[in-house]
Amino acid sequence: MKILIGGIGNVLLGDDGVGPYVARLLEARYEFEDGVEIDDLGTPALDLIDRISGKDAVILIDSIDTDVAPGTVVLYRKADIMRQRPAVRMDPHAPALVDASLSAELFGVAPADILLVGIKAESFETGCSLTAIVSASLDDVIGIVLAELDQFHVQYRLRENPAEVGIWWTPVETLDSTLAR
Amino acid sequence: MSKRITIDPITRIEGHLRIDVEVDDNAVSNAWASCTMWRGIEKILRGRDPRDAWLFTQRFCGVCTTVHAMASVRAVEDALQLEVPLNAQLIRNLILIAHALHDHIVHFYQLSALDWVDVMQIPNADPERTEKLAESLSPWTRNSRNEFKAAQDRVKAVAASGQLGIFMNGYWGHPAMHLSPDVNLLAFSHYIQALEYQRKALQVVGILGSKTPHIQNLTVGGVANAIDLDSATALNADKLEHIRELLSDVVRFINEVYVVDVCAVAAMYPEWFKIGGGVKNYLAVPDLPLDSAGSSYDLPGGYILNGDLAGTRPFKTASDKMFRDSVTEDVTHAYYEGGKPLHPWKGETEPEFTGWNGDKKYSWVKAPRFNGQPMQVGPLAQVLVGFAQGHPLTVKHATAAIQKIQAVGGIKVTPDMLHSTLGRHGARAIRASMLAELAQKHLQLLTDNIAKGDYTVFNQPEFPNHEVEGVGTHEAPRGTLSHWIVIEDAKIKNYQAVVPSTWNASPRDLSGAHGPYEASLLHTPLARPEEPLEVLRTVHSFDPCMACACHTFDPTGREIAKVKVL
Repeated sequence: MKILIGGIGNVLLGDDGVGPYVARLLEARYEFEDGVEIDDLGTPALDLIDRISGKDAVILIDSIDTDVAPGTVVLYRKADIMRQRPAVRMDPHAPALVDASLSAELFGVAPADILLVGIKAESFETGCSLTAIVSASLDDVIGIVLAELDQFHVQYRLRENPAEVGIWWTPVETLDSTLAR
Repeated sequence: MSKRITIDPITRIEGHLRIDVEVDDNAVSNAWASCTMWRGIEKILRGRDPRDAWLFTQRFCGVCTTVHAMASVRAVEDALQLEVPLNAQLIRNLILIAHALHDHIVHFYQLSALDWVDVMQIPNADPERTEKLAESLSPWTRNSRNEFKAAQDRVKAVAASGQLGIFMNGYWGHPAMHLSPDVNLLAFSHYIQALEYQRKALQVVGILGSKTPHIQNLTVGGVANAIDLDSATALNADKLEHIRELLSDVVRFINEVYVVDVCAVAAMYPEWFKIGGGVKNYLAVPDLPLDSAGSSYDLPGGYILNGDLAGTRPFKTASDKMFRDSVTEDVTHAYYEGGKPLHPWKGETEPEFTGWNGDKKYSWVKAPRFNGQPMQVGPLAQVLVGFAQGHPLTVKHATAAIQKIQAVGGIKVTPDMLHSTLGRHGARAIRASMLAELAQKHLQLLTDNIAKGDYTVFNQPEFPNHEVEGVGTHEAPRGTLSHWIVIEDAKIKNYQAVVPSTWNASPRDLSGAHGPYEASLLHTPLARPEEPLEVLRTVHSFDPCMACACHTFDPTGREIAKVKVL
């Protein structure tokens, strides 16, 4: 089964980095069966079509901005995303999850299942760290992603020796300890 | 009585291009371009190791990742006066070319084609007639009645379902749309096929850069690719051959499909050679270095003032003194504190938000100026600067495109007509066909250099004790990109990025001169002001990219543009 687990967001804009953060944690802690691809997708636009097309299922982790308390995790399914209107596009790089999903559907290459795991952000201020309340949701988010894999009977297991978490975008004040050469 | 129209893509984190136009007698009489968010990401870089800067800058934007990574390492290398081994230059060049080809295909088909193509006319097309028409235009083997029929069936299914999906927001049936149903079908079938070829271009970036969207192979002083023709994991003969095959498919798509479609659309909308000109000052920097020192380039740079092609002045290098000394940023109409225009090395970004006021401050974009002048950047600038200097590759591809438009449309095309909305699309296609030719050339140069036994990819950087300044440029798909760095004690002291869309989306300056988007919209006729398709055509022709980096999903569906008529 071909599955993409993608973290979406900008690691330079506070809680918007939660998606890439989760992708990096999953990658470091777990091993997955062949066919499962985990990636820090950054902030993709219409090229997201390329990433989701041809997959059987796609699990995306992204910050959300909706009317719930910060740190709340909200799940959206493919039908929720397909119901949205596409953007009147001024530039090619506007947020494109809706457009990419609708385009993939038109081209006949959309995944059968899409799950968006949304985490309500507290702050999008420029900076490289997550707020405490969003950090506190990370284990829940990882649990949700793994439960989704269970639905598809996808095999995974904890690494015996967890890899180093690839989070290079630490705040400058902790630089000396993390990037010492 | 004048009307005011605002086009403002609404997102909760507002960081997008907003356009305001005043309309009198169904033509634009005044225009404002503004960006709705400030991020100040450059501030994150202060105090960091300059060798790490590119990792951060490639997160400025989700799609232009590669170009910001490249400009950053070049800025540090310029500050250190550090040469880059030939293999590294060529590998970087190939990544930049493949990225640009991908970007230009995406721009035309995904972003702008549907400004000109009326999807809802496609059910009326005749696939057999479309096949005959296509055969007269191009040798592309996928221009078959079967492909056209399949594309038409997709549109019919969407139309019949009543769920327009991705087509929900189009201005279908707009009076400014006038391609025949067959031409609409032809272009639409290529819109579907484009997906495969843009992916192949990206695969080239992935093979050389280890990964997309964030390449991993850069380093200050070169690249981190191991080269070994006999190793399975290094850059070897198999990988070079795979790149050759991918490029060959992409090059054919560019030449036989993209360029032809742009010429055909241009031939059928000749009135758009008279609309959308605006600022006729053009700027481009040289790119695709051919040696370690960066003393010769495959793409020329320079500038043109007031459309005077004969008076063009060249830049000799990518960090030419004339360029580095002449750039300033003006904040008269931008939401920042400060008085007189500042050079990027001295740049300050202290926000002072006052709300949108067209007479005073109205944008988060600063107004970059070259010797005090607004400059248009992008493929049109790249092509005009090359053409004006008699650059053989530019002249060859520009002449071929102009002849194609003349043959299809039966119209006379002169260089003066390129100062227009269609001129921008045509120039992007010309640039793409030039890059397609150069892709194969640079792959051959790399293969030949490796065959000579040169496997060097990296020169060790050394940081001096004193303060140094550098500028790293790249002539990106959207135009001149420059990163400006000040380094002190091996740490970043100041960092400013002047991106292509800052030049083009610039607000007015101290003298009141319009920026390129604003100037290009003046006098544009609008058939239906409440459906400002014509404004979108011109804005899209620049391929804008604003504060494109924050992508929060808003589940309440506010991720749409508001078009407001007051």
